[in-house]
Amino acid sequence: MRIFWELTKTSLQRHLTYRAATIAGLVTNFFFGILRAAIFVALYDQQAEVGGLSLQGAITFAALAQAFIGYLSLFSWFELMNSVYTGDISSDLLKPMNYFAFWLAQDLGRALVNLLLRGLVLMAGYALIFDLIWPKSILQMLAVLVAIAFSWLLSFAWRFLINLSALWTPNARGILRFFFVFSWFFSGFLMPLRLYPDWVQSISRFTPFPHMLNSVVEIYLNMLSGPEVLLTLLAQLLWATILIAAGQFVLRAGVRRLVILGG
Amino acid sequence: MIRVENLSKHFKVFKHHRGAMGTLRNLFTRQYNLVQAVNGLSFEIQPGELVGYIGPNGAGKSTTIKMLTGLLVPTSGELSVMGLLPWRDRQKYVARVGAVFGQRTTLWWDLPVIESLNLLQHIYKIPAASFKQNLDEFRTTLELDPFLDTPVRALSLGQRMRADICAALLHDPEILFLDEPTIGLDVVAKERIRQFIQQVNRERGTTVILTTHDLSDVEKLCQRVMIIDRGKLLFEGQLDALKAQFGGKRELLVDFAEDYPSPQIEGAEIAGREGGRVSYRFARGEIAASELIGRISAKYRIRDLEVREPQIEETIRRIYEERLLEN
Repeated sequence: MRIFWELTKTSLQRHLTYRAATIAGLVTNFFFGILRAAIFVALYDQQAEVGGLSLQGAITFAALAQAFIGYLSLFSWFELMNSVYTGDISSDLLKPMNYFAFWLAQDLGRALVNLLLRGLVLMAGYALIFDLIWPKSILQMLAVLVAIAFSWLLSFAWRFLINLSALWTPNARGILRFFFVFSWFFSGFLMPLRLYPDWVQSISRFTPFPHMLNSVVEIYLNMLSGPEVLLTLLAQLLWATILIAAGQFVLRAGVRRLVILGG
Repeated sequence: MIRVENLSKHFKVFKHHRGAMGTLRNLFTRQYNLVQAVNGLSFEIQPGELVGYIGPNGAGKSTTIKMLTGLLVPTSGELSVMGLLPWRDRQKYVARVGAVFGQRTTLWWDLPVIESLNLLQHIYKIPAASFKQNLDEFRTTLELDPFLDTPVRALSLGQRMRADICAALLHDPEILFLDEPTIGLDVVAKERIRQFIQQVNRERGTTVILTTHDLSDVEKLCQRVMIIDRGKLLFEGQLDALKAQFGGKRELLVDFAEDYPSPQIEGAEIAGREGGRVSYRFARGEIAASELIGRISAKYRIRDLEVREPQIEETIRRIYEERLLEN
């Protein structure tokens, strides 16, 4: 456990030094959020709610989705892929540590920096412009925090798994982009899932993606009952376990056929 | 300590057809060439040895090291290091060995050296006392102090190599694998690294396996060499034995005080002459240099002389080119 925190801590310090990148990301996310909120205002066109989601809820949804972009990294994360292509994976496999945990710890540092420096700042910024919804009770806030933590674990397990495709192909970027479209679309990042036709929602229920973002926001917006919240948290954990197990399995198969280039 | 038997590693390299039609064919056909990077390799290494592993580019050196460190899974053959199977027992195994790949770093690119080393302390679970003791020692012997707080990306190649070697030794590994540790370094930096490797091998008893292009590394460091070419072991044994067997002839250069038209001498042949300077070639084992010098000075008046050993480079080059060891 000590190793895990040391790696997290160092990664956190490292990402804190990328000031320019953080500010650039922050500004971009901020303006896209305003654009998305404006689209919702136009889409709702005076309707009180669509699919059980109020306009205020939809705008809060957009704000939260923007705030979580950096934290969850749901549509681009190529670090592991790059380490396969540069051969850095060999140095990492030479360390006496579980390879998944090694990356998980470092991603936690990256995620925390993004959550605090980008997420919180964005939410504060949007609160100045829009009338946002805030959690009503401490219990709900607690549930939101747990869901946020689980959503990161789930998103990382997914990113780890798909990045492993680099072990099979000399250019996995296209494959990853293809996979990221799924997590991007079905997580509700693009639009809250409630605004989609029923059949899209039905499909999404068989995937882990809604639990990466959509469910978290629904807990935040108080749209789920107590038991539903508990079930959602359990589903997040269950999907994380499945994806982590799949990652371990794929990793073992991939390392067996690993070709380390250069040298 | 290391036992390798009939070890092979084959890679499939997919054929790429050129041109527009070729690109289309690439989509539908999966033709490949089988590259036999390592082919039926067998050897043993005892604890405390310092072994040089040499061969031309593409000979299979790095592939062997990667199998020995558990990064690559052999296609066939047996491999056992300290009783473990490196690729299968990866975590347990890598905790007991150290490895330096000259062309890449184990350290975190954007962290100061000392922070990378501190992280490694936790990753390898090194007890604080022995970590401190080792670090203090390496700081002196490898002269790390001037750049301990510098991020790895800002280090010179020589500094980075010293930092990497330090990182590979902090956990007191039983075996140290060095893949091209002196590549790209200047003479002074090379010499410093060599002395350090020797010291580690002698004082700590660490078994060292060293691959290199630079034969002076091998000449200065290794008691035993293994030469590999095209995936096969060509020679294994003492460097001196290699020289004696294939080293060609030694050379004696003599500056005569007077002009002798044909200063023949028994036991050596004249290889060339240039004014008053004559070079003789003689075989090691047939006649000693002192004996030859005695014979010459008994017959002629000489001003100066010099004995030249055959260069190890020359020897190895002959082995590769003339395939002296293949049959």
